[in-house]
Amino acid sequence: MKILVEDVQYIAKLAKLSFSEEQAKKMAMEFESILTHFESIDKFDLSDIHLDLYSEALQPVLRKDETAVFPDKEKLFQNVKSMSDTSIMVPKILE
Amino acid sequence: MKIESMTAHEIRSGLIEKRFTAEAVVAACFERIRQAEPKIDAYLTLCEADAMAQARSIDERIERGEVPGKLAGVPIAVKDNICTDGIKTTCASKILYDFIPPYDATVAKKLKDADAILIGKTNMDEFAMGSSTENSGFKRTRNPWDLERVPGGSSGGSAAAVAAGTVPLALGSDTGGSIRQPAAFCGVVGLKPTYGLVSRFGLIAFGSSLDQIGPFAGTVKDSALLLEAIQGEDPLDSTSVKHAVREDYLSGIEEGVKGMRIGIPVEFFQAGLDSEIAAAIQESIERLKAMGAIVEEMSLPITVEGLSAYYIISSAEASSNLARFDGIRYGYRPEAFENLEELMEKSRSEAFGAEVKRRIMLGTYALSSGYYDAYYNRAQKLRSKIREQFREAFQRFDLILSPVSPVLPFKSGEKSSDPIEMYLADIYTININLAGLPALSMPCGFSAGGLPIGLQIIGPHFGEDRILKAAYALEQELGLPDRKPAI
Amino acid sequence: MSFETVIGLEIHAELHTRSKIFCSCATTFGAKPNANTCPICLGLPGTLPVLNEEVVNLAVKAGTALNCHINKLNKMDRKNYFYPDLPKAYQTSQYDLPICKGGHVDIEVDGMKKRIRLNRIHIEEDAGKLIHLEEQPVSLIDYNRVGVPLIEIVTEPDLRSVDEAVTFLRTLKAILEYGEISDCRMEQGSLRCDANISMRKTGQDTLNTKVELKNINSFKELQKALEKEEKRQRELYTFGEESKIKQETRRWDSAKGKTVPMRTKEDAHDYRYFPEPDLVPIIIREEQIVSIKESLPEMPAQKKERFARQYGLTEKEVDIIIGDKALSQYYEALVLLGAAPKAAANWILGDILRLLKEKELEADLIPVRPDALYRLIQIIAEGKISITAGKEVFEAMFITGKSADAIVEEKGLSQISDSVELEKIVEGILDSNPQSLKDYAAGKTQAAGFLMGQIMKASRGKANPQVTKELLDSKLKERLE
Repeated sequence: MKILVEDVQYIAKLAKLSFSEEQAKKMAMEFESILTHFESIDKFDLSDIHLDLYSEALQPVLRKDETAVFPDKEKLFQNVKSMSDTSIMVPKILE
Repeated sequence: MKIESMTAHEIRSGLIEKRFTAEAVVAACFERIRQAEPKIDAYLTLCEADAMAQARSIDERIERGEVPGKLAGVPIAVKDNICTDGIKTTCASKILYDFIPPYDATVAKKLKDADAILIGKTNMDEFAMGSSTENSGFKRTRNPWDLERVPGGSSGGSAAAVAAGTVPLALGSDTGGSIRQPAAFCGVVGLKPTYGLVSRFGLIAFGSSLDQIGPFAGTVKDSALLLEAIQGEDPLDSTSVKHAVREDYLSGIEEGVKGMRIGIPVEFFQAGLDSEIAAAIQESIERLKAMGAIVEEMSLPITVEGLSAYYIISSAEASSNLARFDGIRYGYRPEAFENLEELMEKSRSEAFGAEVKRRIMLGTYALSSGYYDAYYNRAQKLRSKIREQFREAFQRFDLILSPVSPVLPFKSGEKSSDPIEMYLADIYTININLAGLPALSMPCGFSAGGLPIGLQIIGPHFGEDRILKAAYALEQELGLPDRKPAI
Repeated sequence: MSFETVIGLEIHAELHTRSKIFCSCATTFGAKPNANTCPICLGLPGTLPVLNEEVVNLAVKAGTALNCHINKLNKMDRKNYFYPDLPKAYQTSQYDLPICKGGHVDIEVDGMKKRIRLNRIHIEEDAGKLIHLEEQPVSLIDYNRVGVPLIEIVTEPDLRSVDEAVTFLRTLKAILEYGEISDCRMEQGSLRCDANISMRKTGQDTLNTKVELKNINSFKELQKALEKEEKRQRELYTFGEESKIKQETRRWDSAKGKTVPMRTKEDAHDYRYFPEPDLVPIIIREEQIVSIKESLPEMPAQKKERFARQYGLTEKEVDIIIGDKALSQYYEALVLLGAAPKAAANWILGDILRLLKEKELEADLIPVRPDALYRLIQIIAEGKISITAGKEVFEAMFITGKSADAIVEEKGLSQISDSVELEKIVEGILDSNPQSLKDYAAGKTQAAGFLMGQIMKASRGKANPQVTKELLDSKLKERLE
């Protein structure tokens, strides 16, 4: 499994992280060794394993459609850096 | 009052019998912290004023004749990835350096209901990624047995806080060994419960399908007591247990191991295992046999490969769980940014540590277009096979016994920076998380250099009672809890 | 060479629940920014989702009403992307195991029936709302909509004209409304539509490059947006410049009346879906499907057939009345009260629709209740007021909310001259005033004046004095004999 620096930079973009060329190179090498190790899984036959099969034994987990109000709105937004009245204020978003 | 040698049981009964007050307990606890903390650095936040106030209110209630909760007046430390209403919760990450949750995790609420007293929030590897607590964004925690060495991780702060005698109890979280390994390194008892037994609501997620909160304590009985207080169904956690669970682990804990069938997986005793650890575990096996347990070798063929599946699944989940930290609603913000895009990218790039970024990247890669089936899906299938392997094993055995870590506590900065080598150290613990099983780590001896050695007892799903029974028997036989680090 | 248009729609409908999909916050529209939020929908660290059972019930109901296969095991997945309106940086949605597969909707365009196949229906959560302030370097975020439950209905590319697309959406809207699955308020964004449109040579099997049009919030916008894009593509094909058609996403800008390309990033489509580990699979039992099927109210197609049969209305009349659930309920209420089916239809198709349009009201907000209108119909039928006067009364009722009787009286529109009714009133007054009768018999003629006053009062001034006087005189004479 060959991993290129460009692959790393593409992934970085998806993950909203930035890396220098050098860091990306190092990471490409690390990923290569981790994913090569992953190939050890190949020795097991996984073809008979089916995830997501319906069974009567499975139980749904649901809540009732009931409303409740979080009482302390000030506390709820205590970590927000800037608010305008009750809205959260952020740098302008371009569409 | 020597808080460092008191158990939670002793504190609670002392309070009820009015031999001392909760206020005195908390005062003693902070006295101990003032001695130990400069050397250990186990805590990120201390809550002295709140703790004293809570202690006084418990004292008043006892004075009025009320029967207080199960953990009345017991000081407890909580890992800093468990949300506490009004108290900073950082995951030891710069990205959450100032985050104050507006709500309590279910376990934090249960501790309050049980009248435990929150002493402080403990240091950890950033977002629980690591096994030495060296990945903390704020400070290094030292091993109370040897200040040169790491306390293990990621719940290193909680393990060290208990080992240093600053609190009798602490909470940690375990995604791939993060309770058991630091417990082994620090010579305390750490229990990772069955996935779902303890609510995850309020635990800042790392790998959602693997994370589980569990107790640290100085003794097996204290672990049982804390487990009783925090466990049970939570309507706020869809993955929490949906059936009744055993409420009392203490009655019957002294029944012993006679007739118990204990499996020893040969794959857990191969190359790479430290010889002193192997010898200490062998000694425990002999003791268990002597007490009437039936101990047999067995095989768990999928062991090393579980490691790959573990890193794919945990990193994939982490990459998604940690995406919300974007600088918009809370936490770290860069000093300057041109626009929103830059705000998000800079927040994440500047505030996440190297190991966190590495795992986010690995996880993002494993989920990215074209790789899902090859990595994530295949890892999940292997996981299902591992689960099946353990299910079969527990048809033959009541418990499985193994080492916790292949190595003794290592020196700070000594550990390899090669990720594979580093990840291989988790080999005895990660499969248990993949299978969702309960497992306990307890001290079983000391190396020639005086470092604690841990032993792992693994049980079937919801087999905590059995694990605790065996652990208690062994603990009594070995008589280790009396040995304390000199600080 | 002839070309055909190929259209597929993706419709987002807000499910009719009280609380959000994963937390207990209310779903009410129009609340103060961030009033309907809590740590869970804000995605604060450590919080976890728990699925609302009504979301599952309504999605199964939609699947049943739209002839889908229900997946008894389906699951939620995470769709990962960064955007400030998405506090967890992933949308919890469904990827490879949606709650419903397949299905179809029958539509009718220009008298031709056509079956439009559905690909799937899945459950997902809505995102928040961004408010871009003009001439200020900031945007505001309101997370009230985050976690509002949606279903996304995806059609196959079976629509062949703009008309078909608009008709499909109308038909679908009616079904969702009748099933009480969504209230489909397009102006509030609770029914939204994205359209994929491409062009190909008639007879060609494969699909050509499509353009995705987003953010369509009304039938008119759907029509305009599709017409514009169809025209653009048709021209490019006609001149052999179809290579200029790029696979792109364009946003409908209702202010500008045209579509504008959306700023897309090349990574935008790598959503890294994976199963949501914080939720367990959604399990639907056979009994649940059966009971939901049984509970389904009458759907528009059946209602149309029944209305034509039962009420003898023309197809056009039926189409308009059942095209809006609230209107059809109003109609049936009116008929049930006793109104003649044809007269009831005339009221709705005439004055009600006209006034709704004038006042820009939805049909569920008709200010005149069916019983109040029925009273007006009765007054007219009894000949107390003319039909023309009736229309005037209705408009006044619509505006003021007052009863027909009050308005008739206020406006002095009627007099009671019907002898039968007057007779009843006169007899009643005579029966309840024996003393006045005695006085009259004793020659006190002013007693007749008192009785006259009582009668006028009882008729609320509507009794025709001339007729009443004559009637009272003759009745008094009868009684004295």
